[in-house]
Amino acid sequence: MKVVIGSDRNGFELKKILKTYITNLGHEIIDETPEKDLDLYEATTKVAKIIQEEKADRGIIIDEYGVGSSITANKYKGIICANVFDEHSATMTIRHNNASIISIGSGIVGPILAEKIVESFLTAEYDGGRHQVRVDMLNKMC
Amino acid sequence: MKISIGCDHIVTEIKDHIVKYLTDKGHEVIDNGTYDKERTHYPIYGKKTAEVVATGEADVGIVICGTGVGISVSANKVKGIRAALVGDVETARYAKESLNANVLAMGGRIVGLGVIENTIDVFLGTKYKETEENKALIERIDSIDMNQDLVQDEHFFDEFIEKWDQGVYHK
Repeated sequence: MKVVIGSDRNGFELKKILKTYITNLGHEIIDETPEKDLDLYEATTKVAKIIQEEKADRGIIIDEYGVGSSITANKYKGIICANVFDEHSATMTIRHNNASIISIGSGIVGPILAEKIVESFLTAEYDGGRHQVRVDMLNKMC
Repeated sequence: MKISIGCDHIVTEIKDHIVKYLTDKGHEVIDNGTYDKERTHYPIYGKKTAEVVATGEADVGIVICGTGVGISVSANKVKGIRAALVGDVETARYAKESLNANVLAMGGRIVGLGVIENTIDVFLGTKYKETEENKALIERIDSIDMNQDLVQDEHFFDEFIEKWDQGVYHK
């Protein structure tokens, strides 16, 4: 799987840890924020654009709390982004929402939990069926 | 305070609990549904709840579904809405203080009633702290070009509901 990742300055250290973890899981990484000086709006916009252009399968954005990135990402057409702080939500947001991006708060979620969240997010598959009506609704919104 | 609230059928009883919790504290609540356990679709209630906030009819919104994800995404897809999906009190405080979040989203199958009540109390009790940095970030988020056809359009989802009723989505 091709995974695009990005962070603001507060998420930079957790991003490094997750990059190693994701690579060890056998996925290919696109790092949209190799420099440390971006804010959450810029980092989110870069990751969302890669997903919109279908240059990656799934995206991950890290800032201090996660909420700013998820708010921003969902303003973009066709993006479904979940702020995730537990493994169950990471799985369910793929199975039910067909989310393409998750955000993680580096100040809220520790590195081990973050790794497990990412693993759950990358392992899950979309259930489709009745869930598609809701996803169609979201995609019509913006 | 005037609070707009909405949920999907997975967590109706939690929404009803919150409505009572807020009413008992003296708040005015606009309950956008859903009102029973019949299977329905979270974007309907995320959109409704958010629009009541976006038009200024309510001060803030609260949305709940199973994980909080679906309904928070639909609320965020309304222009002017900043819906914070949180699982802890501190993130809710930050979202109001720094992002001036106007909708709080939670997962009824993720966090328990104690955390939900505590989070709502802190969210409602925290004031936005305007700084140059916060202001600039919010302005950039709000200026993202968005589809506005949906605004106050009660028939916006009709095509999908018709397909649903025809069994197109059922396999």
